[in-house]
Amino acid sequence: MTALLETDDLVKKFGGLLATDHVNLEIQEGELLSLIGPNGAGKSTLINLITRMLEETEGDIRFQGESIVDLEPHEVVQRGIGKSFQTASIFPDLSVEENANIASFGAEHGSFRFNFFRHRNAYPAVEERTHQVLEAVELLDQRETTASELPYGDKRRLELGIALASEPSLLLMDEPTAGMSPEETEATVDLVEELQADLDLTIMLVEHDMEVVFRVSDRIAVLNRGSIIAEGTPEEVQGDEAVQEAYLGGVEL
Amino acid sequence: MSDETASASPGVGEQFASVARSVYGRWAAVRDSELTVAVLTFLGVLLAPYVLVELPTQLGLPTEYIWYNSLITLTVVWAIFAIGYDLLLGFTGLLSFGHAMFWGTAAYAAGIFSAEVSGSPIAMLVVGTLTAVVVAWVIGWISLRRGGIYFAILTLAFGQMTYYIFLSPMSNITGGENGFNDVDLGLLFGIIDLGDPVPLIPDAFVASWMYAFAGVALVGAVVFGYRILNSPYGVVLRAIRENEQRAEFVGLNVWRYKLMSFILSGAFAGVAGSIYVIQREYVPIDNALRWTVSGDIVVITVLGGAGSLFGSLFGAGLYMYVANIVSGFPNIGTFWHMILGIVFVAVIVLLPNGIWGGITYARGLVVRSPEIVRNAPATTRRFVETFPDRARAWLDSLRRRIPGMGGGDDR
Repeated sequence: MTALLETDDLVKKFGGLLATDHVNLEIQEGELLSLIGPNGAGKSTLINLITRMLEETEGDIRFQGESIVDLEPHEVVQRGIGKSFQTASIFPDLSVEENANIASFGAEHGSFRFNFFRHRNAYPAVEERTHQVLEAVELLDQRETTASELPYGDKRRLELGIALASEPSLLLMDEPTAGMSPEETEATVDLVEELQADLDLTIMLVEHDMEVVFRVSDRIAVLNRGSIIAEGTPEEVQGDEAVQEAYLGGVEL
Repeated sequence: MSDETASASPGVGEQFASVARSVYGRWAAVRDSELTVAVLTFLGVLLAPYVLVELPTQLGLPTEYIWYNSLITLTVVWAIFAIGYDLLLGFTGLLSFGHAMFWGTAAYAAGIFSAEVSGSPIAMLVVGTLTAVVVAWVIGWISLRRGGIYFAILTLAFGQMTYYIFLSPMSNITGGENGFNDVDLGLLFGIIDLGDPVPLIPDAFVASWMYAFAGVALVGAVVFGYRILNSPYGVVLRAIRENEQRAEFVGLNVWRYKLMSFILSGAFAGVAGSIYVIQREYVPIDNALRWTVSGDIVVITVLGGAGSLFGSLFGAGLYMYVANIVSGFPNIGTFWHMILGIVFVAVIVLLPNGIWGGITYARGLVVRSPEIVRNAPATTRRFVETFPDRARAWLDSLRRRIPGMGGGDDR
C-alpha cells in the first residue's frame, strides 16, 4: 500500500540553520499521525513545506504518488490537502454563512473562475455544500452572526468547517486546541475523532497537549532539531528513551 | 427565537409575525435589488442638477456658493472613477497610489485617437478604456507580486514613470506640459452634438447631451459594480481583504483574483478618464497623470466610505464642491486645501465609515425595521389578544390579496 503523503529526504535551511534535516515521513490513508517535539524542532516548518508556504532546499514531497513541490499553496489545497491554522483563521468581518460560502466556492469552482456577472445565490451546488459544512460543525443556527463575534471555540469550529469544505483527503491541523479551555479542548477532540470516523479523513496533527496526542493518535512521530528521532504507536513512543531525553531532558516519566 | 407567543395565542400571533417578516423580507429584497439600485441612481442623476443648481438659484442664493452644470458632470465622472477604485481599496483591500496612470493613459489614448482616427465619443470611450485595461494588466502583473506598503509604493513609482514619460520623451505626441490640445470631438452616433440640449427633457434636469452621456455611464458603472459585488467574485474579493492566507488555503488563486480586481478598477478609471476628455476636449497633464490625481481618488473614496460602492458618489460630490466652489469663496477660498483637510479629518473622526457609513447609521436609527420584525410576535400577540376577531379577518384578507404570503415562508 502506497502512502497518502510521503516526504523524501526533505531538507530546509534558513541560512545556516537546518530546520528539517532529511526528513522521511509517511502517512497512510485513514490514520491519524501526530507530530510532536520541543519548540523549534521543525514541526511548523514541515507543515509549511507540505502546504508549499515554504520552498524546500532539497528533497521531494509526494501526495497520492505525485510530487507536489512545484505547486502553489492553492493548488495543493485543490489536490486535497486542507489546513487548519494555529489561530482560528477565518474571515472575521463576514457572516458565518459567507465564511463557509467562500470555502464552498473554492471547492466547487476551483482555483479561479472569473464569474463576476451572476448573483452568488445562483449556484445551488455551492449553497448545498455551505449548508452541509455548517451542519457538520454545528454552526447552522449562528449562520447570520458576524464571524468575529463568535466565542473562540466556535471560531475554531468554523475554521475547521472552512478547511473541510473542500473535502480534503489529508487534513493538517496546527495545534487545534491551543488557547482553548479544558471543556473546549474536550469538545474539539470529540469533533476531530468524529470527523475522522465520518469523513474517512487522514489527519496530521501538530499538538502540544500530550494528553490529547496520546488519546487520539494512531501513530506519533517525534521531531527534534529537524530530525525524526522516534516514530511509532503511542505506546512505543512513550517508552522511547531518545524521546524522553529530548522532551524531558532525561527525566523519567 | 421568541416563541412564547405560540403557546399564549395559538397560531395567530405567529402568523402575524410571519406576515410581518415576509413583508419586511420583500421590502429588503426590493431595496437591495439591482433594478432598484439602477432606478435610484438614475433618479439621482436626473435630480442632481435640479437640486444643486436650479433650486438654489430660484431660492436666490448667491451664485458663488452654488453648483454649476459642468461641475456636476465632472462629479459624475469622478464618481465612476471612485466606484472602480473602491472595488480595489474597499473590497479587495489593496491601496494603490498609481491610479492616475489608468485615468491618464485612457485620457491621452481617447484624445489622441480623436485627433488621429475618429472623434466618435463611443469609439474614444472604448479606446481609452481598452488602453487603461492593458496598462492595468501589465502594471498589476508586476506590482501585485508585493503586498501592503510595497504594492502602494510600486504603483506610485509606475505612476510617476508614466507621468514623466508622457511629459518629456513623448512630448511630441502628448504635447508635454501644455497637455494635449488637439482633441477633435465628433458627434455621438454621428448625429448628436454633445453640447446640445436634450429635447423633451427640461434644462433644469439634464443640461446637455454631455451630461446624459456621463449620467448613463454612471448608472452603468453603479449597476456593473453592484453586480460584481454580489457575484461569487465579489465575495472572494472580500475574503481576500479579510484574510488573504485563508483565502489561499480554501484553494483560491488569490494572486489572479487580485490581478482581475486591479484590472477591473483600471477599466473603471479608463471609462472615467475617457469621458473626462470627451467633456473637456483637452488633456491637461496635471489633471491626468500627476500623482495628485492618484491622491485625490484615495481621498474621494475614503470620504465617501471605502467598501460602500455608493459612497463614492457622495465623496466625489463633496470633494468637487470644496475644490471648485469653496476655492472661489471670498477670503477663505485660497485656503481650500486646508478646508478639504479639515473636512477629511472631520469625516474620518466622526464617521469612520465615511459619508455612506453615516447615511447607513442614520437610516438604522430611523428605520428600526429588523428589530420591529424581531419583536413582532410580542407586539402582535397583544393586538390579537385584544381584538381576536378583527385580527383573524385582517389576516384572511391579507392572505387573499397577497398570494403566497404568511404561514411558513418567512425568510
